[in-house]
Amino acid sequence: MHILLIEDDLEAAQYLEKGLRESGFTCEHARDGREGLFRATEGSYDLIIADRMLPHLDGLAMLSVLRQKSITTPVLILSALGTVDDRVQGLRAGGDDYLTKPFAFSELLARVEALMRRRPATAEVTRLRVADLELDLLGRRATRAGRDIDLTAKEFQLLEFLMRRAGQVVTRTMLLEGVWDLHFDPQTNLIDVHMSRLRQAVDRGFDRPLIQTVRGAGYTLRDDA
Amino acid sequence: MRRQLLKLRPLDFAVSRLASLYLAVFAIGVGLLLSSVYLLASHELELETDRVIEAELEGLRDEYELEGLSGLMQGLSLRSDSWGRLGAVYLLTDLKHERIAGNLTDWPLAGNATAKWVEFQILARTEDDSTIKHPVRAGIFELGSSYLLLVGTDLNQQRRFVRDFRVAILWGIGLTMLLAASIGYFYVRRIGTRVRDVAVACEKIISGDLGRRLPASDSGNEFDQLSHTVNLMLDRLEQQSHTLRATFDSTAHDLRAPLHRVRMRLEQALRHEAAAEDSRAVMQSTLVDVERVQRTLATLMQIAQADAGSSPLQSEPVDLEALVRELVELYEPVGRERGLELTVPSSMIAARVQGSRQLLAQLITNLIENALKYVPSGGHVSVRVERRGDRLALVASDDGPGIPVSERERVLRPFERLLRDAEQPGSGLGLSLAHAIVRLHRGRMLLEDNAPGLRVVCELPAATWPLGPPVTATGLHAPYLAATTAPVA
Repeated sequence: MHILLIEDDLEAAQYLEKGLRESGFTCEHARDGREGLFRATEGSYDLIIADRMLPHLDGLAMLSVLRQKSITTPVLILSALGTVDDRVQGLRAGGDDYLTKPFAFSELLARVEALMRRRPATAEVTRLRVADLELDLLGRRATRAGRDIDLTAKEFQLLEFLMRRAGQVVTRTMLLEGVWDLHFDPQTNLIDVHMSRLRQAVDRGFDRPLIQTVRGAGYTLRDDA
Repeated sequence: MRRQLLKLRPLDFAVSRLASLYLAVFAIGVGLLLSSVYLLASHELELETDRVIEAELEGLRDEYELEGLSGLMQGLSLRSDSWGRLGAVYLLTDLKHERIAGNLTDWPLAGNATAKWVEFQILARTEDDSTIKHPVRAGIFELGSSYLLLVGTDLNQQRRFVRDFRVAILWGIGLTMLLAASIGYFYVRRIGTRVRDVAVACEKIISGDLGRRLPASDSGNEFDQLSHTVNLMLDRLEQQSHTLRATFDSTAHDLRAPLHRVRMRLEQALRHEAAAEDSRAVMQSTLVDVERVQRTLATLMQIAQADAGSSPLQSEPVDLEALVRELVELYEPVGRERGLELTVPSSMIAARVQGSRQLLAQLITNLIENALKYVPSGGHVSVRVERRGDRLALVASDDGPGIPVSERERVLRPFERLLRDAEQPGSGLGLSLAHAIVRLHRGRMLLEDNAPGLRVVCELPAATWPLGPPVTATGLHAPYLAATTAPVA
């Protein structure tokens, strides 16, 4: 998995590069927008991580040019601005995800993995399955080992979000964004409360818990067996 | 770069040029009007004189034709004193201009008069035996080809009247011009003074006297209205700069404390060459402090963005009640964990607010989190949407400790918190961010007494149009229609 990192802050770039390498990615670094655009056009990458404010060529402008050249590599925008409008601008320019600086590395890693594993939208999935947990998306029904699980509409959405990313780490912010469409940090332990309720519904009474907490990062739903 | 203030000279004013132009047009107009009145009047006066003479001639001729010369002589003798009374002259002569009767002594014209209308001068004796020249206009008529009858009238009076009239008109024009010019000058002076006062006041404000205001009285004229409006704007700006300074000070304070802790901790760890176990603990608590600083900065940026006043990029009609319902549902388990009941009474209001869904969600979230933080276990929190005329009110009420009236304005400012909450974690930014979002959506936020507890009311203008299709469905509206009729996820 090959990543292009476009970032003018050298220390931050080194730190990210190191972290990404340790997580098993190969990484190339470009220092400004022009170099980034050149490399992104010439090379072949699985993901581009681009700072929003870059010397010579602004991150968003670079992104627009990339998209005009029909380069569809997923792009994760890093921004120190982090306002609502800023986010909207980033996504409109063709970004696939957006992360406000400063961020925890685990947050970046979770989003990088999510973007890399994103499959092109093929045939509509109507049924999700992880171990003995099954989700019928058409009938809005959840069953585990054949037994019905009683879920509210939101809990169903939450479980669907986790199951579509089975095996990946999903952070609290990703959950808030993906399930509730909220793009800001609430001050309370909201997500933990909802996850513990979902856990109660999904895992209680089973030996093998499917939903697991990933310390310092978030949650993951996976079949450990 | 400081721009030099313009030196204001009265004649440079647009208004004085306008006044001069107006004065010139006015002068020409008045002159034309009065001159035509003068010409018409004097002409009419001359015609009237001729008509009177003609009538008199007709009358005398009739007498001659009916009663012959003796009748005419009698008529003339009856009029013998008419010079003194009416300024009328009569003379009857034979064809050789020898006087037969009348109040003139001689034929007044040299040679044979052929014209019907003549003008000449006579010498009239006054009572004290001196003589005065009088201009006379007369008509001459031949009676039966043997006599000549001359009837005339003194023009002195008429001429004097016309002269007086002319003088009066010239005085009138002069005085009107003088009056108009002085009124114009007075107004130009007045406007000039007001403009200069404003310019001077602005100059003072620019050079740093921020508390200064434009001079304004309560007369209610447009200048005072303008001054009042400008003063209101200056008040607003001054208030904003105060808020900004206060925010800046509090930000510095609020950030300095955690940074100070971080620094102390790191220095201590370095000095003692702490064991690996200890340095882990140092790093963890440092991360907590750093996170707090980040959070504060992020919230401040949001407030700044909302206060900057530009409308959010992503503005759409937002179903406020649905959003409230969704967020209350999101927070309800957290509330229950803390022993609070969080409800949203159904109001079935089908109205929307034009704005940013994200910011409005943040607003509702802040109100809910605020209540969750301060309402003790066992309390109730409700969030509802009400319609108030053309506005929607988002009302969050609780039965917690409330906020004293004297503190209500203060807690809306960044970093301001109640003294009794000093122990509570929190930055004191929640309500100010909520307030900024409400302001950004052109609404207003009120803190009220819920007796007991706090009621936060956010009045927001309701989006009017996208509920029904616009009457004229032109191509322009089509994208909106498509966007709003799509099913809401």
